[in-house]
Amino acid sequence: MITLLQYRWTGLFLLITALGALTLFLYGFFPLKYHSGKFAHMSDLPNFIDGVSIDGQQVYNSGENSVILMVIDGLRYDFVTEEYMAYTGQLLKNKSACIYVTVAEPPTVTMPRIKAMMTGSVSTFADVALNFGAPAVRGDSVLRVAASRGRRTVMYGDDTWIRLFPGLWSEYDGTTSFFVTDYTEVDNNVTRHLDKVLAPDEKKQPKFDLLVLHYLGLDHIGHLEGARSTKIKPKLVEMDEIVKKIYVAMQKWDRNGILIVCGDHGMRDAGGHGGSTPAEVLVPLVVIKSQDFECPHPLGPGPTVAQVDVAPTISWLLNAPPPGDSTGRILPSLLPADTRQHLYLLHIIAERMAKQNDLPTDKEFYKQFERAENQFAHYLATGQQSAAKISKEFYEQSLAEMTEYLNGTTVDFDMFSIVVAIILLYFIVASLLCVTLYSLQPDHSRKHSTTKRGYQSSNAGRIVAFLFMLCLSGSGLIVACFITETKSQLCSFNGLWLPVLLVVAAAFTITYFIMKTGIERIKNLSSLNELNAIDFLLIGGTVFHAWSFFGTSFIEEEHMTWYFFWNTFMFFVLIRSIVVVVMYWSKKMTGATEVQEKPGLDEKMSAVGISIVPKWVLLIALHRYLRTMNQTGDRWLFLPDTADWLNEPENSLYLELHVIIGTIMTVLICVHNLVYTNNLMYIHTALTAAAATCTFCYRVATHAVHAPFEDMKTWDPIIIVSVFWGILMAQFIYEIITYVGFFKSCGVHPAEHAMNSKKFDYVKPKTKTEDYIYDPTIEEPWNVEEVKLNLARSLSHLMLNNMMLVILLLMRPHNVVMVPSVYITCVVSSKCVDHKLLDRRSARNTDVADVLSRTLVHMWIGILFFFYQGNSNSLASVDLGSGYVGLREYSPVRVATRMGLHAYAGPALAGAVLFCTLAAEARDWQQYLKSIWRATNILALHRVYAVVLYTVIATIFRHHLFVWSVFSPKLLYDFVATVFGVQALATIGYIIFLTHVTSWLARVLITRSGLR
Amino acid sequence: MFAFNTQLELRRITISSLITCIYLPSIVTVISYRGSLYYVGKGSSFYILVLIFIAELLKSFYLSAPNDIQGKKGKTSKTKASDVLKSFVFLLGVNFCFFIGIILFGAPVLDLHEETLMLSTLLTILTIFPLILHSGVECSMQLLFGVKSFARDTVVEMLVNNAMLTVCGAWLGAVVIPLDWNTPWQQWPIPCYLGAIGGYLLANVLTVFKATLMTAAYKYPAVNFLVMILNKLRVSK
Repeated sequence: MITLLQYRWTGLFLLITALGALTLFLYGFFPLKYHSGKFAHMSDLPNFIDGVSIDGQQVYNSGENSVILMVIDGLRYDFVTEEYMAYTGQLLKNKSACIYVTVAEPPTVTMPRIKAMMTGSVSTFADVALNFGAPAVRGDSVLRVAASRGRRTVMYGDDTWIRLFPGLWSEYDGTTSFFVTDYTEVDNNVTRHLDKVLAPDEKKQPKFDLLVLHYLGLDHIGHLEGARSTKIKPKLVEMDEIVKKIYVAMQKWDRNGILIVCGDHGMRDAGGHGGSTPAEVLVPLVVIKSQDFECPHPLGPGPTVAQVDVAPTISWLLNAPPPGDSTGRILPSLLPADTRQHLYLLHIIAERMAKQNDLPTDKEFYKQFERAENQFAHYLATGQQSAAKISKEFYEQSLAEMTEYLNGTTVDFDMFSIVVAIILLYFIVASLLCVTLYSLQPDHSRKHSTTKRGYQSSNAGRIVAFLFMLCLSGSGLIVACFITETKSQLCSFNGLWLPVLLVVAAAFTITYFIMKTGIERIKNLSSLNELNAIDFLLIGGTVFHAWSFFGTSFIEEEHMTWYFFWNTFMFFVLIRSIVVVVMYWSKKMTGATEVQEKPGLDEKMSAVGISIVPKWVLLIALHRYLRTMNQTGDRWLFLPDTADWLNEPENSLYLELHVIIGTIMTVLICVHNLVYTNNLMYIHTALTAAAATCTFCYRVATHAVHAPFEDMKTWDPIIIVSVFWGILMAQFIYEIITYVGFFKSCGVHPAEHAMNSKKFDYVKPKTKTEDYIYDPTIEEPWNVEEVKLNLARSLSHLMLNNMMLVILLLMRPHNVVMVPSVYITCVVSSKCVDHKLLDRRSARNTDVADVLSRTLVHMWIGILFFFYQGNSNSLASVDLGSGYVGLREYSPVRVATRMGLHAYAGPALAGAVLFCTLAAEARDWQQYLKSIWRATNILALHRVYAVVLYTVIATIFRHHLFVWSVFSPKLLYDFVATVFGVQALATIGYIIFLTHVTSWLARVLITRSGLR
Repeated sequence: MFAFNTQLELRRITISSLITCIYLPSIVTVISYRGSLYYVGKGSSFYILVLIFIAELLKSFYLSAPNDIQGKKGKTSKTKASDVLKSFVFLLGVNFCFFIGIILFGAPVLDLHEETLMLSTLLTILTIFPLILHSGVECSMQLLFGVKSFARDTVVEMLVNNAMLTVCGAWLGAVVIPLDWNTPWQQWPIPCYLGAIGGYLLANVLTVFKATLMTAAYKYPAVNFLVMILNKLRVSK
């Protein structure tokens, strides 16, 4: 098992295991199944009310109706005013239309909202993750009941509807909803069908019973430019025209036409949605009826209804039973004037809810329902209006309370999976701690411990021990299954779940053995004695931060915690560096003797120079500026920020300045980084410049920057981006080929042209006759390791360069400056945390402490920029627009990677800079591998530590009011962060793998070609 | 920490800290009783700063006036006018530095300057002002930049200690601002303002506590053990 502890990538594998455990946790936390499988039929309608007979089907009949459901994506409440939608406002004013405030439950993204409107049941949070996939609804829905009654349903617009309800449409034309950069075509694709479909046939009947129109343009504008964009108004006017067109067309029909205009969710001022702020949750719903309709509600904002109310309303209008899982009610303004029918409808809805499995019959609302039923029967028998009135009141009261009760208790967690996942995560974090501490031991003591392998038991013995523990943990799990009598899928012992159980048991066993050997082997942690106050601040901040999530505000305002920590860190460093510099100067002034007393001081100062203090102050100022760039979080989100100011049309000059400065700085940094590459005849410089030009052209083509050349504006951004990808690819392949020595075998000798390419030649080191008996390189006459290190250096720097260029392309114009800022911050602060500079003691061996503090600082910087960029722990801040840079059509994988890279640009860049610095400063290949090992372990440990604490917190607060709006989104963010952590560590692994392969290839080539 | 030179010095420090422990809470009580606690950031509550200023001034006269051990005092009394001017300019500079620092730390840039200025003035009065009064501009500058060590001077050590805890208090006060309790005192800069006062108070209470312990230690050597523990704590920090 010692091999497992020493193995370089154990951290990565443990992180992957943690990802699996987190998936199990999420499975338990977000139950996917939520429909009861009940299908409604007309025969379900009751024919007796408390013993009094009534002809259910006849009373239920709503007459001949054609319903048009016009969904305007992202329509928030304050958009339906006379200012934006004049015609609708007019209709509302003269009471021929009614407006309601609908409350959409979080997550406020399209797919779950459509589901809620069509099935009438509150959707689960997991739907947000499925928003991209949109699997078909298997439960009952309006579309199914309509189809079963033979109604003709037509759909134009967002193709999510078609994927959700396949085979239930008589006619449809879908448009892809995810391509957000287009906001005209999507809507024209819907409107072009309107004339045809609205025109009545020869019997003056429309050609459909239910028409669904889903307009996406508004939401797309929101995602691109925010709710204050100048494009919003023309779009709303366009929507208003369509309402007018439909209303006029409805007048020509010989049957009732009902138009329901609503949004599926609102939008924040910044344009995103997904969270639970009033701007996202409150959605208008306008009901317009073609004939004899007068809105019963007074003028004003209108009463509040639930979004699920749409389902029973439409079902009833289509003369179909309400869907099986529906918990909604019928919109009050559409309830018939006829008392009998009115009461009957109320009765159906109330009965549906009262008959739910888990509704207790001893509560007050159930009794209220029984009383109402009693009164209704009384009315049916005697025809007393007073009884009808009382009955109506009772129904409404009990309905309101039942809805509230049902909404509060719809979630059931799979506690068994949750607990198993948490325990497993604990095991993983403990074993990762062991691995990390083991790797932080100074080098010599580790070697010492490996030499004691003689004490180890034989291989067979180890296998037996492993199998024994596996059996033990497996049987422990099974016993736990039976003791708790859980209904969890994990304990169902069938099909897919049995392997899962086995894998969990195996993970327990492996982590147990890692912990066991770790505890035995960790003996010498003397290297941690070198830690200074700043290191303790870094460690303490990182550890404490995970605990801060016990307060919901600290989740919503997580950026505040990080800003606070970062400020403190910068303050500490500032004080320390001032003290060091002033001490150095005053000593130098007063006389050379004292400087000579402290020879270390001189050495320290020569490494950074006096300029460190002004540099650091400038860095603090830069961070203060970047912090104002994007307001994030929840409480102060509404405050205007620099990004808003820059995006105003009159300030476009400053925005361009930001873009240009950001791009130029990035290019300079990239070119600077190229010294680590095999920069043969400056080809890399040319390629980098070309790639940067591409990003610049892209900015011009997307009108973020004005250019004097009119031609450039018409260039196709997609082609530009394709060229860009090609250049980056070429750069990488070129680099590897030069290492292999391909050019040499072609007869080109680049070493003669460029000075620095010599370091990549394979040469025999000059043999030193004295001490090469113990020299391990005696077997290898070539300087393979040195070349490997150079290759690793160059590959990591190329990776960093390319990543910077890609992120430069993906960033919003005002955020472009973030890219060079990350790099500068990383470089300056990793210089400052160097133990040789700031420590008063002249430490001897600070390698380990350096790696530790550097890793933590880079991690902090990454998270910091994550928030600077405008991200938060709410789903609304996910930037969809970045997913479509350079794409002509929707492709889930590409869009998801782009969005992910854009959202996690800060952590990704900071991580890349960290690995570049480690490579650049390594003395030799072995030391490089060691520092990489330590850094990856620390990163993995932090990730899993944050996850395990957060899962515990989410479990404790699972009945909290904010569980879906605050705790759950953060869980999804943590999941994505873990995925990216795995990806980052795997990339480093891949680079090292690539160096091995390349060096092998090179050796083969060299021996073949006989070049010596 | 306190290697007290004389009993006299010890007594002075104790008494001046005691005075602080009395007058500062009374000011806070009075303003909270008058209901103006939520307006400490406004310019209208400048009188609080003036009060604290005067109190600190009187305290420092007490601390270093009559029979001084240090020879510096005589020098300052000679060139009083220019010294006062110099101190005043220096204080303004420090105030400005605090102002910039607070903004860099995250105070609003474009608005609420009045509030930020009040906070920075308070910090200046509580931290640098007593130091200048006691040891003059040059000396406190040297202290600030770590050129001169203050290991020998107990009073300066106490003052530096006070200053550090004051800044820490203001820093910790910022923690409550993002919480969603929606209370009126979460407005900028009230938590930091009160945090600074709290930190200063805490430092003084600690001083009194320690001085009392040390006086006791003269009589009862057993208490020395406690003093040593306290000193250890300070060193590790």
